[in-house]
Amino acid sequence: MAMFRPRRFLAAAAVAAALAAPSVTQAATPGNALVMAWNIDAISTFDPAQIGEVVTSELFNNTCDYIAAFDPRDEKKVVPGLAERWDVSPDGQQITFHLRDNLRFPSGEKATAQDLAWSMQRVVKLGFGNAATLTEYGFTKANVEQMITAADDRTLVMKLDKPYPTTLILQAIAANRVGALLDRKTIMAGEVNGDLGNKFLATRTACVGPYNLRQWNAGETVVLEANPNYWDTAPKLRRIIIRHVAEAGTQRLLLEKGDIDIARNLTPEDMQALEKVPGITLSRARMPQLVYWGFNNSNPIFANEKVRLAMRYLIDYDALAKTIMAYDGVPRASFVQLGAFGALDEKQGQPFSLDLARAKQLLTEAGYPDGFETTLIFGTLPYSGPIAQHIQANAAKVGVRIRLEQMANAQLFARHRGREFQTAMLAWQTSVPDAQGNASRLIANPDNRAEAKLTQYPAWRHAFQSEAANATVAAALLERDEAKRAEMYYQLQRDMMQSGPTAIMFQTIQVAGIRSNVRNWLWHGFSTYYALASKD
Amino acid sequence: MSGAATTPSRRPVLPGRGATALRVVVSIAVTLFGLMALTFFIGRMLPLDPVAAILGDNATQEAYEAMRAQLGLDQPIWVQFFRYVGDILRLDLGTALTTGRPVLSDIARVFPATIELATVGIIIGTGLGIPLGVMAAAYRDTPVDYFVRVFGLLGYSTPNFWLGLMGLVLFYATLGWVGGPGRIDTAFQWDVEPVTDLLLVDTAMAGQWEIFRDVLGHIILPASILGFGALAYISRMTRSFMLEQLAQEYVVAARVKGLSWMRTVWLHAFRNVAVQVVTVVALAYAFLLEGAVLTETVFAWPGFGRYLTNALLAGDMNAVVGCTLLIGIIFVGLNLLTDLLYRLFDPRTH
Repeated sequence: MAMFRPRRFLAAAAVAAALAAPSVTQAATPGNALVMAWNIDAISTFDPAQIGEVVTSELFNNTCDYIAAFDPRDEKKVVPGLAERWDVSPDGQQITFHLRDNLRFPSGEKATAQDLAWSMQRVVKLGFGNAATLTEYGFTKANVEQMITAADDRTLVMKLDKPYPTTLILQAIAANRVGALLDRKTIMAGEVNGDLGNKFLATRTACVGPYNLRQWNAGETVVLEANPNYWDTAPKLRRIIIRHVAEAGTQRLLLEKGDIDIARNLTPEDMQALEKVPGITLSRARMPQLVYWGFNNSNPIFANEKVRLAMRYLIDYDALAKTIMAYDGVPRASFVQLGAFGALDEKQGQPFSLDLARAKQLLTEAGYPDGFETTLIFGTLPYSGPIAQHIQANAAKVGVRIRLEQMANAQLFARHRGREFQTAMLAWQTSVPDAQGNASRLIANPDNRAEAKLTQYPAWRHAFQSEAANATVAAALLERDEAKRAEMYYQLQRDMMQSGPTAIMFQTIQVAGIRSNVRNWLWHGFSTYYALASKD
Repeated sequence: MSGAATTPSRRPVLPGRGATALRVVVSIAVTLFGLMALTFFIGRMLPLDPVAAILGDNATQEAYEAMRAQLGLDQPIWVQFFRYVGDILRLDLGTALTTGRPVLSDIARVFPATIELATVGIIIGTGLGIPLGVMAAAYRDTPVDYFVRVFGLLGYSTPNFWLGLMGLVLFYATLGWVGGPGRIDTAFQWDVEPVTDLLLVDTAMAGQWEIFRDVLGHIILPASILGFGALAYISRMTRSFMLEQLAQEYVVAARVKGLSWMRTVWLHAFRNVAVQVVTVVALAYAFLLEGAVLTETVFAWPGFGRYLTNALLAGDMNAVVGCTLLIGIIFVGLNLLTDLLYRLFDPRTH
């Protein structure tokens, strides 16, 4: 064997290293564009009949205007959108919307009330998840063409089967994506097998809004471009570029380096570190989303309300709020989110604390002095696992042995919808800043029979039905006196915190890391306003 | 009694090469059909609900049943299977639930990013792995050998995820030597005319050298990390093959004849392990093409591995089946290629 020759070896290594040496240029974000890093895996369609998750909702809000809008600075207040004004009939069962005169689609065609009526009717006819937004207020496939009509090019008439609170209808329908004005002609040209353009809208938008969807490469990038024919003040930034970055640590590096302006999926550790970095601020917005531990009432153990109440005393709300949920949520035990009409305040809406003795006593009264065995299923939200372990550890101290099962979210939803669980941890988001939004789903359950399959009601999924609660929800919905209506919701929240089907734990917060050259980043639980943002 | 004894004059139906080709085609067809059947039935057994994934959380049972019928999920399982095989034979892999687009066009979009990353990775892995493996064997039990073995061990055992993040912190955030996550800087995003969707190739063909340098800056770190893993595998295997050859008598004979050690190693011993090394490199390349999920996640690389993982997590079985078939085709294809190279390099197979 020959001798080892270090010089020759080092020379070869140097050549190899030189070949691999990178050579780069680096560009800061363009001045006329807002560049965001966000996990956009969840985007699967831009059809307003079908959109159901946070990312697409935000993008759709910024590409399509609705009949009305939420005030950027007050999420409870509804302000004119596509409609410059509206009239309500004396009996409260008809709202007439008067559209603006200068509405045009990206195709250049004039946008009319006929287009708007068609857009809303198609949501009901398609029957996807968002149809519930309209069917909840009496619109059906059979009646929607009579209930939502265009009187002329600029007048849309919406008839209601009951005198619902006008503010609630404005929030729930007029300021919701089901109230988007779609380009009927363009969409119907792309219709496939009578799908009313559902396939066409899977990858594009065709509506009136401040930005147009220029490009969506799934799992890669979304680009919005300012609409030059926008009816309102033109957006300050020409482009919104969203880069798909799934890893939080990578988002943080990009933000610190200045290659993005905003990071949307930071971990608590990243946020804690970024708070100390000059030139970067954290912006928070409370979401209308509740994280809860739900109990299947078809199981005899959880049919007992004392057991359900005992479970609430196993949650250390304060400790979780300071640790696992420090940047992700605020403690909340009421089913009505903070900020909504009819919500109990922070203190009244979360009266629980960790109390193992009380939990033990309730279990004894319920007939389970030695506890029992159960399972808790949960998905892939980052805080689900730690919270589940926290509950498991406390439960073990009172004899309740919980087996934890983590699974893909799709599997979790399927098990939950099918009542195939004992206990489950999920999140539920409402689309209205009104107690009715959650009361009608998390509490009310019109038919608890298994064969009824009212899977759109979490209360049904939990096999929970209370005639008294159903009656209160129905009465509150039609109460014209706002003070009385609010009081009805207050009492319902107090009752449900004692006997409801779920232990609500947290109201989530969304946090974004933002570079300080970004100005006027406005957002709340129901929308984010790209068109108002600017850069130095 | 042998068949040859009873039918001595019987001739094969096809001449030698034709029969071999037919055997290969049948073998590939059976493998892919088995893969299709396996993915289909596993997909049906998974407790995932594609209907709920399409309709969302709020849909009524009526809408749910209608969509189930539209997707054909209300049909007997064998009907579903034959429809599925028929669709695949027409190259219709269905629509991905996660993107709303045809699976085939999704794969055509994400696969070039992975091919580009894997190819640069395998060039680095092979370019360094083979010389290191040969040198480690040639200088067995010297510091060179120890270095290569420890280096290889690190490549095997260090998690790519951690290595990627550390690499970004050091080379991107601190030293600024490489580009950040993603394939290209935002500023250049609209300046490349996609021809092959391999950005290095497209920018080079267009003579856009500034953008080429930017793309190279973005790919070099993730490719190096992937290449590091491949290097570990290739160098260790090469070393092992070489040690066997260097112990052969013809090596001693070559040295006795006065050949230098390096000429003996590279021109005689290495030539005899080249075929085995090709197999190792092909396997390493196949694993890289299959997609490096964690590396793609850390580097925000819009590739095949991430697409497949997201599809799995979302219960998007059309996409999962499409990707699985592609992986099967990659492995079958590279196996075939390796066989052909064997025939080319090894005279004993002629």
